[in-house]
Amino acid sequence: MDRRIVVTGLGTVNASTAGGRDALAGALALGRSAIGPVRAFDATAMVSRLAAEVDEVTLASLVDRDAARRLSRICRLALAACLLAVRDAGIAGGPGLGIVVGTEHGDFTSSRDFAQGFLRRGPAGLSPMVFPNTVMNTMASIAAIAIGAKAPSITVNQATLAGDLAVARGARLVVDRRAEAVVAGGVDELFHDVYQRLAEMGALSPMRSHAPEGCRPFAVDHNGPVLGEGATFIVLEEREAARARGARIMAEIVEVAWGNVPTAPHTGRAVRADHGSPVARMIRGRDPELVARCYGSGNGDPVVDDWERALLGRDLPGAGADLLPPVSLAPLFGQHGGLGALRVGAAALDAERGTPSVLVHGIARGGCRTAVLVGPAP
Amino acid sequence: MSRPGPRGGRPDVVVSGLGVVSPYGAGVKSFWTGLAAGTCAIKPVTLIDTEGFRSRIAAEVPAEVMGTLGSSRRRSRADRIALAAAREALADAGLQGPERAEAALLIGAVGGGMLEGEEWYWEETRRGAPAPGMRALRSILPFSHAETLGWRLGLTGPKETVVMACASGAASIALGADLVRAGVTPTALVGGVDVLTHVCFMGFNALKLLDPTPCRPFDRDRRGMSIGEAAAFFVIEDAEHCRARGGRVHARLGGYGMTTDAHHVTAPHPEGEGMIQAMRLALEDAGLPPSEVGYVNAHGTGTPQNDRAEALALRRVFGDGAVLISSTKSLVGHTMAAAGSVEAAATVLALQHGLLPPTANLVHVDPDVPFDCLPGTARPAEITVALSNSFGFGGQNVSLVFSRLP
Repeated sequence: MDRRIVVTGLGTVNASTAGGRDALAGALALGRSAIGPVRAFDATAMVSRLAAEVDEVTLASLVDRDAARRLSRICRLALAACLLAVRDAGIAGGPGLGIVVGTEHGDFTSSRDFAQGFLRRGPAGLSPMVFPNTVMNTMASIAAIAIGAKAPSITVNQATLAGDLAVARGARLVVDRRAEAVVAGGVDELFHDVYQRLAEMGALSPMRSHAPEGCRPFAVDHNGPVLGEGATFIVLEEREAARARGARIMAEIVEVAWGNVPTAPHTGRAVRADHGSPVARMIRGRDPELVARCYGSGNGDPVVDDWERALLGRDLPGAGADLLPPVSLAPLFGQHGGLGALRVGAAALDAERGTPSVLVHGIARGGCRTAVLVGPAP
Repeated sequence: MSRPGPRGGRPDVVVSGLGVVSPYGAGVKSFWTGLAAGTCAIKPVTLIDTEGFRSRIAAEVPAEVMGTLGSSRRRSRADRIALAAAREALADAGLQGPERAEAALLIGAVGGGMLEGEEWYWEETRRGAPAPGMRALRSILPFSHAETLGWRLGLTGPKETVVMACASGAASIALGADLVRAGVTPTALVGGVDVLTHVCFMGFNALKLLDPTPCRPFDRDRRGMSIGEAAAFFVIEDAEHCRARGGRVHARLGGYGMTTDAHHVTAPHPEGEGMIQAMRLALEDAGLPPSEVGYVNAHGTGTPQNDRAEALALRRVFGDGAVLISSTKSLVGHTMAAAGSVEAAATVLALQHGLLPPTANLVHVDPDVPFDCLPGTARPAEITVALSNSFGFGGQNVSLVFSRLP
């Protein structure tokens, strides 16, 4: 990349912890899964009953009470994590600060509430306050106002890899001189209607199998993802600008790439190779021996797990058991739009501790593929 | 935090393919014919029940046109018009084989397959029990368009769904151009799509932003916007790559500016601060002074707030009366996530044809808009540089600069 990009801050609000880089490091060191029976709504009659939920008391402690009254839950999650990230980085707002928010489901709670208003009371039941939240860029908008981000504010919508894609796009904004620094990451919330429909469609563990419900990426009895929720954002900055302001640099984003492996929507097949995406080109140019660690998007969905293992096996021939299968964080935090940024955050912490080169890889049903290469601070 | 420095020495980006499905019909030809004739396509809504709403009009893609698009009726309405417009753009560019396969795909979207998802959800609510056809939910999210197009068109380049409210389509062009400029990919298929949905129609009604009559941007008596639906796609390309393969060039994409107001979730900054900055950055990116710009395809929604703020911004950037402006939304409605790419297509076609599309329904120009807004009738003008503005909820501002090649 033409400009060198470094990670100077991290903020996360997830089912295990909330805070900056130290909070995430603590949660990863503990290695305790936050997945448990759903508490936010009654799931006892559903085929899936597990999730990784953010504690409401923790979230309430992170967002100003007056602001919280006006904001939907997913906006509060995004806002809290962004504030933690800029505080961790010690960075100020202004015309050079951008934001990229990745999300898979957006604010469906508001869409449901808005539609319900009409279904109950007709046009008089429509809330002008709720409508803006039905557009997915509301989380970015709220956060941009709070942190003073006046450079590009972008929302990317993507299954499984929303956070990874947001980080990759954020890095490009800095490389392409559209921003001096970018707060990039992802967010999703646990919402009854989405959870119920995904469970009914067999998209969540146990996916109509007889094995017990649970998140077991790459295991022989993997049978679907378990949903999580939360928001994680990292601060990406041009290296010289970060140095000049005395930032505590965690790691370098050495390279980013994203592409497509053409396949039918919502599907994926382990036999389908990546013949030409920028991700394949980026990974094939690496010596597997120089990649010390690999995080993957495998989340227990057999389609994603098997495809990811096969793709990496082809693109990193000779990779040993230390790299494949890749490390999945889904069993700790559950699958959600912030998980990709958590993976990059974990890679940055590894690099900060001296791990020479960490690959954060992702593949989603439908063929979107991402790669973020993280290395120690230069 | 200060603004980043200049971007120099990057390759030129050109527009080598165009595709549009609009309320005028399928194809760039019908789009341009409608614009040039100044035909207002805003009519009574047929897709959804509008009983009890302040406004009952919109610019829909006609039913007879939907029947000619050639893709499976099992796909969402938005997927169908996106696929048709994207295919036209790729064919127009003459991109085939490996050159086509390596193209990036960036789609500006908001509503996704919500129209079909709403039907299912409302049916279930009415029944009070699970309704059949839950399949509709699988394409409800905006990224479903990129999945469908990426698969059907066999594209392997960077794939991205950009949700930036009414600036989404313009943002997809801008961000795609950065990938081409950076050499990540030599070509990109970029554009936006949106169709009429209950949520959108009801939402703008709830905000009292819809005019009960066809919208009148920049009119003293304007009362709001009219919704439309469309898809518009561009093939943008490294100029050298295009030249080497003998591709046709519609226009040069000189640069863009993208800013955020960070002011309010729905209202623009009252002084147009972010808009001004977006236009200035776009001109700086293109290496052009404001005096080179002859025409601005305005965001021009017809809401009192937007038009006032945009006029203020245009005055600050160009000076009173220094450019010709018009609003495509007065002709095809506000096509939401598609608007930025629809209006960019109108801008490119205006440069190509030497004819500026008019602002329809404009009778009494607002005295706070000291510009020639091209009321009623298209005007011949040999413009070499034009700017297309797109703004959106969340304080999103994108300005694109296009220039005609000699």
